[in-house]
Amino acid sequence: MKNSCSRRSLLALLTGGIGWLATRPIAQAAKTAVKHVFASAKTPEGYDPTKHHWLMCIDVDRCIGCGTCAEACKAENGVPRGASYFRTWVERYIIKKPGSNAALRGDVVVDSPNGGQGGFPPSLVPRQDILKAFFVPKLCNLCEHSPCAQACPVGATFDTPDGVVLVDPTYCIGCGFCIQACPYGCRFMNPETHTAEKCTLCYHRITRGLKPACAEVCPTQARIFGDLKNPTENDPLQEFIKKNKVFTLKPHLGTEPRVLYANIDKEVR
Amino acid sequence: MDVVNLTQLGADAHTVLNHVEGYAYPNETNILWSVLIVIYPYITGLVAGAFIMASLVRVFNVSALAPIYRLALLTALAFLICAPLPLLLHLGHPERCLQVMMTPHLSSPMAMFGFVYAWYMMAVLLLELWLEYRHDFVRWGRSEAGLKGLFYRMLTMGANDISPRALAFDERMSIGVTIIGIPSAFLLHGYVGFIFGSIKANPWWGNVLMPVIFIFSAIVSGIALCVVIYNELSWLRRKDTCDDCLDAMGKFLFYALLLDFSVEGLDWLHRLYSADESIHVLKQLAAGKLFYTMLVGQLFLGTLIPLLSLGATQLMGGQIPSFIRRRIYYFSAVLILAGVLLMRWNVVIGGQLFSKSLRGFTTFKLELAGQEGWLVGLGLLILPFLILTLFVRLFLPRDHETPAHGGGNGDIHPATLAQGRTGAGQVSSVAGN
Amino acid sequence: MQRMPPQVLRLVLLTIAIVATYGVARALLTPATFGRYGHYRGAALEETASRTPLYAGAKACNECHDDVSGKATKGHKTISCESCHGPTRAHARDPDVATVKLTDNTCLRCHLSDPARPPRHKQIVTIEHYPGDRCIECHLPHQPNKSP
Repeated sequence: MKNSCSRRSLLALLTGGIGWLATRPIAQAAKTAVKHVFASAKTPEGYDPTKHHWLMCIDVDRCIGCGTCAEACKAENGVPRGASYFRTWVERYIIKKPGSNAALRGDVVVDSPNGGQGGFPPSLVPRQDILKAFFVPKLCNLCEHSPCAQACPVGATFDTPDGVVLVDPTYCIGCGFCIQACPYGCRFMNPETHTAEKCTLCYHRITRGLKPACAEVCPTQARIFGDLKNPTENDPLQEFIKKNKVFTLKPHLGTEPRVLYANIDKEVR
Repeated sequence: MDVVNLTQLGADAHTVLNHVEGYAYPNETNILWSVLIVIYPYITGLVAGAFIMASLVRVFNVSALAPIYRLALLTALAFLICAPLPLLLHLGHPERCLQVMMTPHLSSPMAMFGFVYAWYMMAVLLLELWLEYRHDFVRWGRSEAGLKGLFYRMLTMGANDISPRALAFDERMSIGVTIIGIPSAFLLHGYVGFIFGSIKANPWWGNVLMPVIFIFSAIVSGIALCVVIYNELSWLRRKDTCDDCLDAMGKFLFYALLLDFSVEGLDWLHRLYSADESIHVLKQLAAGKLFYTMLVGQLFLGTLIPLLSLGATQLMGGQIPSFIRRRIYYFSAVLILAGVLLMRWNVVIGGQLFSKSLRGFTTFKLELAGQEGWLVGLGLLILPFLILTLFVRLFLPRDHETPAHGGGNGDIHPATLAQGRTGAGQVSSVAGN
Repeated sequence: MQRMPPQVLRLVLLTIAIVATYGVARALLTPATFGRYGHYRGAALEETASRTPLYAGAKACNECHDDVSGKATKGHKTISCESCHGPTRAHARDPDVATVKLTDNTCLRCHLSDPARPPRHKQIVTIEHYPGDRCIECHLPHQPNKSP
């Protein structure tokens, strides 16, 4: 039979144990909170994520659908080569002439063969039937209220302080919820690592002062990249924002995408 | 000019995506959530439904259902044990599964899984079973020899008091646990509905009725499962089924199915009426890719036929001979079980068959073997029945038919227990007290 | 103290044991940098940034080849070298490493006529534009409006 003395000491022991456990995470957080700047040898040393705010915008009128961006992204980031895995891709929209006089425009044909890599083959729609056609590059929309980060059950995908949405491949459990939650189709499950993957805005390049690979190789500057917190002289991003009326994709969903599209058509989803 | 290469590349690209009609985002062309994610909500739905069936006895005092009370709880446990398996098999990194409980991201409905599952398993189902069985564990622990006796004694956890006061306490606590258990069951399955309902990116999934539809179809499937298992067990043991019990189950099954059908009908009515931009692709989805699984399978075979036949038993029950009524209940239950599984299929797979660009469809290829193939799915559906067989052997012994815990009849005097024990097949008369 | 029913005592002890086990597991299994910037492993930022870039960037090319880029005309003035020449980091490290050999397809990738390309972009229909001749017979690659 327990007597009151041993019961009390048991209670004290339990309370002490719980107290120690409860303060451990606070102590850990205090230790790690001091370091905000990248410190390890392999990374761009001295980079402070809280001092930058990256953004890429798209000028649809400039895109010529050469697909160099999609190829460069796959090469730069080691993306699996299949046709179902793209961090960025290009879509071609062909709006046909209306069949009857009363209609505004005809059917819309959209395609993205192999994500646009290698350019687009000639469309099957005869040229004389085409009212309007254009290319639209697609990528992660860098949402202000990312539904993907909201959906992740473990905290493996997140919004960084510098405006990028990343996946932590060593923490991702591969449930695929974030992929379902993204309205823009920009995420995929990597068949080799079995984790979710997406455009990282070439985080390993932008932290070293380079441009993302897609923006680097785009021959027509359809992809405009910059740092909102540190605009350069004649910053193309600032020019873009000042000059254009812009659109975002699926605004009704409330994800507040930060990627701005200029000169886009109503048919683009 | 070397034009050949470009056209070649284009031709290659076109043949790669043969299984896509119209336009789908390149990353959407493979289905991500497959058979395993169809089976998981099915299993948790059966758990929730079977538990609700049991709670009808405990909390709502439906004495006619008393004979299946223990069976319903054991069924719920057998299926609950199997519930995490499809999830673990589906994860890209199952070895990291504990992260869901160590660093749960509170904005994600999926993060609730570990906690809701643990709560339901331990604080509701195991607790309820323990309180129900404790006096039997004590008696069997004393009367059985060897390992089996040791097993029962361990299950008592040393609480060996089976005086009327202790047993009355068990009963009161059990009612309390069931009362907590009902919303817990709704949470266990409702959060899965919310996982789909919260995806605003997907118009097939993201709507407010989704958790409600999931819960109601779960209740229907749970009741149907109890009908099937009760019939199977009685057949295996060459015992007669209790007509009152089956009639009560048939009644609840009918009304639950009617309710479920109404809510799903409301969903469709609302979609068709408000007709937002996704309606075109969704109508094509329902009439095309999902024609057999949804219109023929889920709707016609799984809902309308059972509604009509169960409705007939409700309207003209007295005129239909009991042996026909029993078969109607059984076959309706089987159709309903298939129909609810198809409903999960239509939601999970259907939601991934069309593109979020609303311009096209992809194809689902169900492989035979492999991590998400037919065989694994079948195995996962059979496993709970194997576990239930073991439970029935251990906890529903043939010659220890237990008396019913009838409504309001809290008198569990040892004499009554002994009486109930000797009268095999006399369960219904005790229940009628 | 009134005697607690044995069932309740056992259940309370079991509950305490389970909650304590969970607490210990959580304290031990949560990664160290978790929560530094938000609900994720802070170290993930550095790990993502530690990948070695493949494309060198136009600035790296200009360190040796600024005579070429300085003379570029028209649309080709603003194109990054690697857009046509492919990733050249290996070459930037060791100039003996050759870059990709370019063909007519390199030009056609951007300049083949397509109705979706903006009209002001220079594009040709190959069978109508000197079929049989190579592009560089008439166009200097970096100064496309000039002939060799």
